[in-house]
Amino acid sequence: MATDESPQEPRPEGVETVAAEDVDAADILGSAVERREDPSLLTGDAEYTDDIQLPEMAHVAILRSQYAHARIDGIDTDAAEGMDGVVDIYTADDLDVSGNVPTAWELDTLREVDHPLLAEERVRYQGDAIAVVVAEERYQAHDALDAIDVDYERLDAVTDPTEALDEDAPVLHEEAGENTAFEWEIGDAEATDEAFAEAGTVVDLDVTNQLLIPNAMEPRAAVADYDPGDDELTVHMASQNPHVHRLLMSGVLDHPEHKLRIRAPDVGGGFGSKIHHYPDEALAAWTAKRLERPVKWQATRTETYLTDAQGRGHETHGEIAIDDDGNIRGLRIDTKANLGAYLSTFAPAVPTYLYGTLMSGQYEIPAIHCEVTGAYSNVPPVDAYRGAGRPEASYIVERLVNRAADAVDADPAEFRRQNFVDPDDFPYETPVAVEYDSGDYEKPLDKALDLVGYEGFRERQAEAREEGRYLGIGLSCYIEACGLAPSELVGALGARAGLWESGLVRFTPTGTVTAACGTSGHGQGHDTTYAQIVANELGVDYEDVDVKEGDTADLPQGMGTYGSRSAAVGGSALVKGAREVVEKAKRIAAHQLEAATEDIEFDDGDFHVAGAPDRSMGIQEVALEAYLAHDLPDDVDPGLEATAFYDPDNFVFPFGTHVAVVEVDPETGEIDFENYVAVDDVGNQINPKIVEGQIHGGIAQGIGQALYEGAEYDDNGQLTTGSMQDYAVPKSSHIPEMETDSTTTPSPVNPLGVKGVGEAGTIAAPQAVVNAVVDALEPFGVEHIEMPLTNERVWRAVDERAGATGGDD
Amino acid sequence: MEFDGTVSIADVTSEEVWLALSDPVMIKQSLPGCQFLVAVDDEEVDFDELDESSTDEDPETLPAADPEAIAERAFVDGGRYAALMQISVGSVEPSFETVVTIEEREFPRMDASGEGSAASSSFEMASGMELVETDDGVEIEWWAEADVFGRVAQMGQRVINPVANRVVGRFFDRIEDELRDVQTDEPSGLRDRVSGLF
Repeated sequence: MATDESPQEPRPEGVETVAAEDVDAADILGSAVERREDPSLLTGDAEYTDDIQLPEMAHVAILRSQYAHARIDGIDTDAAEGMDGVVDIYTADDLDVSGNVPTAWELDTLREVDHPLLAEERVRYQGDAIAVVVAEERYQAHDALDAIDVDYERLDAVTDPTEALDEDAPVLHEEAGENTAFEWEIGDAEATDEAFAEAGTVVDLDVTNQLLIPNAMEPRAAVADYDPGDDELTVHMASQNPHVHRLLMSGVLDHPEHKLRIRAPDVGGGFGSKIHHYPDEALAAWTAKRLERPVKWQATRTETYLTDAQGRGHETHGEIAIDDDGNIRGLRIDTKANLGAYLSTFAPAVPTYLYGTLMSGQYEIPAIHCEVTGAYSNVPPVDAYRGAGRPEASYIVERLVNRAADAVDADPAEFRRQNFVDPDDFPYETPVAVEYDSGDYEKPLDKALDLVGYEGFRERQAEAREEGRYLGIGLSCYIEACGLAPSELVGALGARAGLWESGLVRFTPTGTVTAACGTSGHGQGHDTTYAQIVANELGVDYEDVDVKEGDTADLPQGMGTYGSRSAAVGGSALVKGAREVVEKAKRIAAHQLEAATEDIEFDDGDFHVAGAPDRSMGIQEVALEAYLAHDLPDDVDPGLEATAFYDPDNFVFPFGTHVAVVEVDPETGEIDFENYVAVDDVGNQINPKIVEGQIHGGIAQGIGQALYEGAEYDDNGQLTTGSMQDYAVPKSSHIPEMETDSTTTPSPVNPLGVKGVGEAGTIAAPQAVVNAVVDALEPFGVEHIEMPLTNERVWRAVDERAGATGGDD
Repeated sequence: MEFDGTVSIADVTSEEVWLALSDPVMIKQSLPGCQFLVAVDDEEVDFDELDESSTDEDPETLPAADPEAIAERAFVDGGRYAALMQISVGSVEPSFETVVTIEEREFPRMDASGEGSAASSSFEMASGMELVETDDGVEIEWWAEADVFGRVAQMGQRVINPVANRVVGRFFDRIEDELRDVQTDEPSGLRDRVSGLF
C-alpha cells in the first residue's frame, strides 16, 4: 500500500475527523467529531420502517392510475378480492373520513383544489392512487393489484406549465375552472420598468429549470398500528417532520391529534420528499384502524418515481438592466411554475416566497419585479426538493449576471464584485421583502478565485483554444435563505403553521442528559451536532448527552427538518432549553453553596461562587440534588429539565462562491471537470466535517441537475424516465473531486451564529457548471444550453451555431 | 412512439399478399402471442366469453384454404375485431385485450386502429400498410404509431422498441413462410384462383 505511486492528482485534503474522547469538553462545539450515528448505519444495525415487524401485520399495496389524466367509469375488484391472501380492498367509496389532503400554505390568489386520498371520478397523474389492497403477504397484495379492473376514459394530458396555462389546455380541476393555481408577484413593477427604460444595456434569457425526481435512498414507507382499546393510532413512517405529519394526518383521518403518534425510525434520506403529506401513509393508517390490525406499506422504487413530489419545474423569462458604469439597475422575472396535479404541502410557498425573495442574489439591485404563475398539470405534485425555490432563483440570477457581464465586456468576477452588497450595509434590505442578516461577499469570492487559479486562467484558456481544446470557467455567487421565520412573518405570508422549533433538555438523576428536538434528521448527523451543542451549553461530557428526534411521543411539538433549518432553529431551541436548565441549576447550586444566585458563576459545567473558586459544584451533582429534592430552595420544584420554544427573529442567509472549470469537447458534447471549488459561508460551524459532507452532497445533486437529471413525460403525460436506468442519478464517477473551503460570517439572528448548510450545494452548483460550459463554447457563439447539459444537447448547441454561422472554422 | 419498415417478399403477387394479410386466421396464427382474433359486433366486447369460446382449431389458411372462403372472412372496411395478445415485455407478460378497427381497406392499402388494455398497461395505435409490386415480388410498406401507457410505458423505448421489432419481425417472417407455401403449391392452380378474386 505504501508503494502506491498513483500518477493521479492527490485528492484535495478534506476536514479530518476526530474521536470524541480526543476532544476537550470546552472545544466540543466546532470540532469535527466523528458522527455517532455512523456505526449503526454502516453495520446495518439501523432500523428503517421496512425493518419493523409487528405481530399479525398485513401488507398494503396501492393501485395507481396508468394514465396521466382519465375519468374513472368503474372499478371492479371482484376478481382481486377472491385471490389468495387478500384481506380486503378499498376504493374511494369505502373511505369514511374527510380524506382531503391539505396544503399548508395559502396565497391570496390561490385556487385550492380537492386532493382526495383515493381518486373518485378522475385521475390526474400517472400514479394517482385508486385503490388499496390489503393482503397477508406483500407479494399477494401486489399480485392482486393486477386483477383490479378499472374502466378508464382517457383524457388529454398536459405536463408543461406554459402549455397548461394555455386556454385550450385540458383543465385538470373542474372546480377551479382553469389550470392557473395562483398569480403572485413581489417587488416594484413600476420602478423596475423605469430602471429598464433608463438602462444602457438590457440582456434577457429564457430558461427551463427542469423537473427533478428526489430519489431518496429509502423509498417512502409506513407501518401503522391501531389500539382500539384506547383509540391510539401509531404510524411509523419515513418522515422529515413527524409533528407536521401528525397535525395534517389528524385532520385527514378525523383522528384526534393527541391519540395519534408519528414516529420516524431511521430514515434513508428525504431531500424534501418526506416533508409532504401524501395520501399513501394516511391510507395505511386508515387501513390499520379499519381492520384493527397492523399494516405495512412500503413504496417500490417505481412508486418513488411516480408519486414522490418532484422539484423545480420552472419556465422563466428573465431580464437584467445595466447602466453604462456596469451597475445592475433592475431585474425582471416572469416564471411559470409547474405545481403538478394537486397542491402539495408547501407547494404554494416554494415558487413564491422561497423564490421571488431571493432575486437580489448577492447584489445591490435597486429595482426588482418578479411575477410567478402557478400551473396545475398532469405530473405528480411538485413541492420542496433540496433547495426549494432558491436554486431556481440563484440559477436565473447567476445566468443573467453572467450574460450581463458579457454584454458590457466585463470580467464576470469583477462585474459581480462591483455589484455586491457592501459588507457595511448589513443588515441589508432588498427590494424583494427580505433583510439579509449578515454577509461579506468578497471574502468567499476572493478565496475561491485564488483556489481555482483565476488569475492565470484566461491565458490558459486562450492557449488551449489554440490547440483546439475548449476550457471554460463558471462562477456562481449564490445566496440562500434558511430557517424561515419568525412565525408572525410566515403567518402573514400564508403559512398555516408557525416555524419555530422546540427543544427539550432533561438531566437524569445520575447526570446524563437527554436532548430532544422537534426537527427530524434523516442523514444529516443531528445526533452528533445536537449533542455537541448541548454538551457545550451544559459543560457536560459529549458522551453524556443523548439526542432524541423523530417521535411525537418524545417531544410535545416540533416543525421538522427542511429548509436547512435544523441547526439555526432546532439547535437554537436546544440552546434555549439548555440555558433554562442552567438557570434553574444555578439557583439550586446557590442554595447548596449558601450564596446568592447573582453571585454564582457558571463555566465548563461548574457553578462556583464569584471570587471563591473553591466553593463550587458540578452541574451533574446539581442534577442529583434536583431529583433527590432533599434540600432545594423553597421556590424551586424538584427535577431538572426544560422544554423551550424558539422562534427566530429572521431568516439566516448563507452565501458563497462556487467555481467550476470544465473542458468541453465540441465534437462529442462531452464535459470534463478540471476543477470544482466551493467556498461557502454558513456562519459558525458546529461540526466542520458534517458541513463539508453537506456541501459535497449538495454539489453532487446540483451537478446532477446541471448535467444528468430530468423527469421527462411524453405527450400523454407518461413518465419516460421512470427508473434509474432512464433517469440518470449521478454516480460517484460523474462527480469531480472538489476543493472546499469556507469563510465565517456569524449570523446575528441566533445564539449559535449559525446559518444553514443543507442546501448550499444544490443552490450553488447548477449555474457554476452551466456558466462554465457556456464560457467554454464561447468561440462557437453558444449563449445558453438548457439543463441537463447532456452530450447531445451540448453537441446540438455547437452544431446549430456552426450551421447558423456557416461553420466554426 | 413511431415504427415503420418495409418487408420484401420475393416471387409473390400483391394479390396473394393482400389476401394473406386480409385473413384474420392467418394474422392470428402469425402474430406471436395472439390467443384469438375474431370479428365482433357489440360495442362492449366480452373478452372472457370470447376466450372461453375460442378453440385451438383454426380453419385452414393458404395454401390449403379455398381463396373464396378467405375472401368471405377477410377484414372488411369499418369492421371491428377483438384479439387477446400476450406479449412479454421485460419482466412482465401482460395480456392485452385488444379491439382493432379496420379504418380503410382498399387494395393495395389498409389502415387500422386499435386499443389494447391489460392489468397495468394499455396502448392505443394507428397503423397501416401498402403493397408495392416490384420486379421480383412485393414490398410491404408498413407504419405504426403507438401510445403506450402504464407499467409497460414506464419501461421506456429502450425496452419497448426491441419488443415491437421482435413482434413485427416474427409476424412478417411467418407471413412470408406461408406465402412460400403458396408459391410451391403451383399444381393446384391456387395462384390463378387468387388472382381471379380480384
